[in-house]
Amino acid sequence: MKILCYSSFTFSYLNRARVLYQTLRKFHPDWELAALITDRPPEGFAFDPASEPFDRLVWASDLDIPDFDSWLFKHDVVEVCTAVKGPFIHQACGWGFDAVIYMDPDTAALGSLEPLERWLEEHDILLTPHLIDPNDDHAAILDNDLSASRTGIFNLGFVAIRTTGEGARFARWWNDRLLSYCYDDMPNGLFVDQRWCDHVPALFDKVKVIRDPGYNVASWNLSTRKIDVSKAGDITVNGAPLRFWHFTKLGPLGDTMTRRYAGRNFPVYEIWSWYKRQVTAATDPAIPERWWAFGAFQDGSPIAKPARVLYRERIDLQQAFPNPFASGRGSFQEWLEHEGV
Amino acid sequence: MRRTLAAARFSLSDRLRRLHPDHAIAARAFDHAFYLKTNPDVFAAGADPLEHFMAYGWREGRDPTPDFSLGAYLAAFPEVASLGVNPFVHYLTNGRPKPRPAESPLGFRHEVISALLPVEARIALATAAPVAPDPEARLAAALARGARDGLRRLHITFSHDDFTANIGGLQLALQREAARLAELGRDHLHLYPARAWPVVRTATDSGALGVVLNGKAGGVFHADVVARALAGATAGAPDGRSFAIHSLLGHAADETVEILAAAGLSAGTFWLHDFASLCAGFHLLRNDVQDCAAPPPDSAGCSICVYGDWRARQVREHARLFQRLSLTVAAPSQVTLDLWRRAADYPVAATVVLPHARLTPREPAPVGAGPFRLAFAGLTRAHKGWPIFRALAHRFADDPRYDFVHLGAARDPHSEIRFHAVVATPDRPLAMREALQAAHVDAVLVWPLCRETFSFVAYEAVAAGGAVLTGPDSGNVAAFVAETGHGRVLPDETALTTAFESGAILELARAKRRPMLYDLAYSALTLDLAQHPSS
Repeated sequence: MKILCYSSFTFSYLNRARVLYQTLRKFHPDWELAALITDRPPEGFAFDPASEPFDRLVWASDLDIPDFDSWLFKHDVVEVCTAVKGPFIHQACGWGFDAVIYMDPDTAALGSLEPLERWLEEHDILLTPHLIDPNDDHAAILDNDLSASRTGIFNLGFVAIRTTGEGARFARWWNDRLLSYCYDDMPNGLFVDQRWCDHVPALFDKVKVIRDPGYNVASWNLSTRKIDVSKAGDITVNGAPLRFWHFTKLGPLGDTMTRRYAGRNFPVYEIWSWYKRQVTAATDPAIPERWWAFGAFQDGSPIAKPARVLYRERIDLQQAFPNPFASGRGSFQEWLEHEGV
Repeated sequence: MRRTLAAARFSLSDRLRRLHPDHAIAARAFDHAFYLKTNPDVFAAGADPLEHFMAYGWREGRDPTPDFSLGAYLAAFPEVASLGVNPFVHYLTNGRPKPRPAESPLGFRHEVISALLPVEARIALATAAPVAPDPEARLAAALARGARDGLRRLHITFSHDDFTANIGGLQLALQREAARLAELGRDHLHLYPARAWPVVRTATDSGALGVVLNGKAGGVFHADVVARALAGATAGAPDGRSFAIHSLLGHAADETVEILAAAGLSAGTFWLHDFASLCAGFHLLRNDVQDCAAPPPDSAGCSICVYGDWRARQVREHARLFQRLSLTVAAPSQVTLDLWRRAADYPVAATVVLPHARLTPREPAPVGAGPFRLAFAGLTRAHKGWPIFRALAHRFADDPRYDFVHLGAARDPHSEIRFHAVVATPDRPLAMREALQAAHVDAVLVWPLCRETFSFVAYEAVAAGGAVLTGPDSGNVAAFVAETGHGRVLPDETALTTAFESGAILELARAKRRPMLYDLAYSALTLDLAQHPSS
C-alpha cells in the first residue's frame, strides 16, 4: 500500500516534528513523509528542507485557499494548523497514494504501525478515540471523559483514510468544514478540526474506531492504560504492543497531567524522558521559542485573539482589509487602534 | 503579628476555645517551655503558649514540641492539610505514625528517571579536566626499579579504576588477586583510565592510563607509552606471564591488545564482574530503574533507554577485543555466564565459573530474643535497593514485631533508620560480616534493582547468620538463595510488603531457622582459575 503520512506545524514545533518523522522513518522507510507548514522561517534560521527528515514540503500558502491572508488571519496558531489539515488531505487524495495518514507533530512512533495498513484494506477511515475505557474516579471523569465530551470524542492527532470511496468523501467534507468552521469556540459546538469528527461514524461508512490501547497513548487516557516493558524489550499498553504516543503539552502542564495519571507506572516517565532527550537533540536554537510568523502584524506587534475574532465575524472588515496583517496607513491594524475595541 | 499576640491574650473567643476538646488533647503533649523558647515573640507578648498555638501558631507553622514537625507531618500526610485541621491534634488522635520524609507518591523510580544524565554528559564530565601524562622515563624507571622478579612472570590487569584507592566488590576482588601475586613473588601491573570513563573508549577517544605496579602508583601515561615501556622491559619469552581484563570501561580495545602484545601476550582471562561487555548500561538497568536482561538491541526497550544509542559502540569495541585476543571468560556465577552466553556473540576460548567466595560452616548462630531484625548493608544507592528498604522500614517503624538497621559507610541523611558505620577495607575485609553478626540480624534485604554477578553482601549476610531477602531480578543473589535455601526470593515489592504485613516473613527469624555461622573462603580470582575446570 502506497502511503503518504503528513503532519501540520509551525517552526516552533519543527523539533517535535523531526522526532515524529525520525520515528516514522525507522518503522516505515517506505512511507512518504510530508510536512505541512503554516509559517515562515525566522530570520537567522537556515531552513533546508532537503536535510530535514521528511520527503515533501507543502506550505499552507500553496494549498490554493481563497483569500489566503484574510482566511489565515481569522485563525490563531492552533486553529490554522488544524484547519489546513482539511485542504491538504483532500488534495492529497489526488496525488496517487492509496492512503493518507495524519499525525500531530507531537506524536512519535514507538512501534510498527503496520496494522493500520491492514485495517485500511477493510476500512476507509480510521480514528482513535480519546478514551477506550471509561473512568470511574470523579477527578479523572472531569479531566478526561468530560474534556473529551467538550473537545471531541476522537483525537485528531491521528486520522487515516483511503484516498478513494468513503475516505475521499470524508476528505472533501472535512476540507469544506475546516475552511469555514475551524475555530476554538466550544460554546458554539466547535473545537477546531476535532469536534467535527464526532459526526464521522454517523456520516460515513467503513469507519474503524481503533480500540487498541497501543495507539495514541496520551495523558488523557493514561488513567486506564498500564505500560510495561518486558525482558524481551517489548513495550506494551494493557498487554498490547505500544504503537504511538501523543506527547501533548511538552512542559510543566504535560508533566502534571502525566504524573497525575501515571502514578507509579514508571515506564511512562521513561518514555517521556526519552522523548524530551529526542526533542532537545532536534531543537535548533536559531528558532525562537513560540515563533510564528503570522502571530504579528507587519510591524511586529502581536495580534491579539480578539482582533482575529472581530475580523472573522465582520464581513465588512474582511472586504475592507483583504490583507489584515498590513501595518500603516489604511491598515486593519490602524483601524483597530482608532475604531476597534 | 502584634495583633495575633494581643488576640491570644485578650480574646474572649480564645477563652471559650479552651473548652474545646482539641485543647485538652493538645495539652497532653504540648511543650510550653519549648514553645516559648522557640517563639520569643509569644514570650515577649506574655501570651499563653498553648492558647497561641491552638489559635494561631499551628496555622503559622510553629512546632508544638521539639520532636513534632508540622511541616514534616503535612508533607507525609497531605490529606491532613486539605482537611484544615490542626496537624498536632490529628497526630495525637488518629494513631498516625510519627512523621517521616514521605516517599513520593510517584515512587523513587520517578526521581531516578528525572535525574537521568545522558551518556554524552557523563563523558563530558569525565573529560572536563584531562590528566597530564607523566614523562615516559618515569615508567621505564618504575618498571626497572619496582619489579619483584624482573617482570618474568608479570601479570597485567585492566579495570575501570585504581583498585588500591577505591572501595567496592570488584576492587576487593582485585586486591585478593594482587595479594596472591605478592605471595607468589610475581609482578603485577594494573592499568586503569586516569579519568573515570562511563563507557569503553574507542581509538578516537584520547585518554591516559593510570599505572599501578605491585600496589604502588606508577604515574599516568598514554597507551603507546605503556606499550613501548613494556616492550623494552619484558624482552624474552613470555612464559609465566598472564593477564586478566576485569573491566574494559575507559579502555580502548586496540590499545589494550597492543599493550598486551608488547608483553608478548594474547591469551588471557576476561572477567564478567558486570555486563559492560553487553551494553554501556553495564548494570543492565534500563534507564537506571529496571532490569532489562539485555534484550535485542533493536528492541523497543533499548530504543527508549538512555544507554540504547551507546550499546552498539560498546559491543563493537568488545567484539574487537574478543576477535584480537584469545579470551577465557570467567564468571563469578553460573547465572551470570548463562545470561552472557545468551546475549553475547563473541568468539571465546573457554568459559569458567569461579565464585569469589565459598561458605564454610563455623558454628551455630546464637538465637536471641526481640523483634525480627532486618538489615540493609552497604551504600544507600537506588540500584542497590536502598529506597525499597527505606520504604519498608518507614512503613513498619512502629510495628513492634520488627526492627530495622542500616550498616554502611554513610547514612541516608533523609532517614531516621538506625545506622551503624561499617567500612570494609583491605585491612578489615570482613568488617561487614562482623557487623552483621554483631547486630544479630535475622535477615538482610539484598534487593538490588540490577542483577548482581556475585554479591558479597548476600554471602556476608548468610555468613553472619542472616537470611537473604531478595527480588526476582537480582541475578546471583536470587540464584544463591534459590540454590542454598538461605532466604527467600519474593516476586515483587508488593509481596515484600505483604510478607511483613502478614507476618509471614517471621518464618525467617533465627529462632525458626536455627542458622549456622560461616567463614568466607575467598578466591584469588584469575590466580585460582588454573585449578578450576573450564569448558
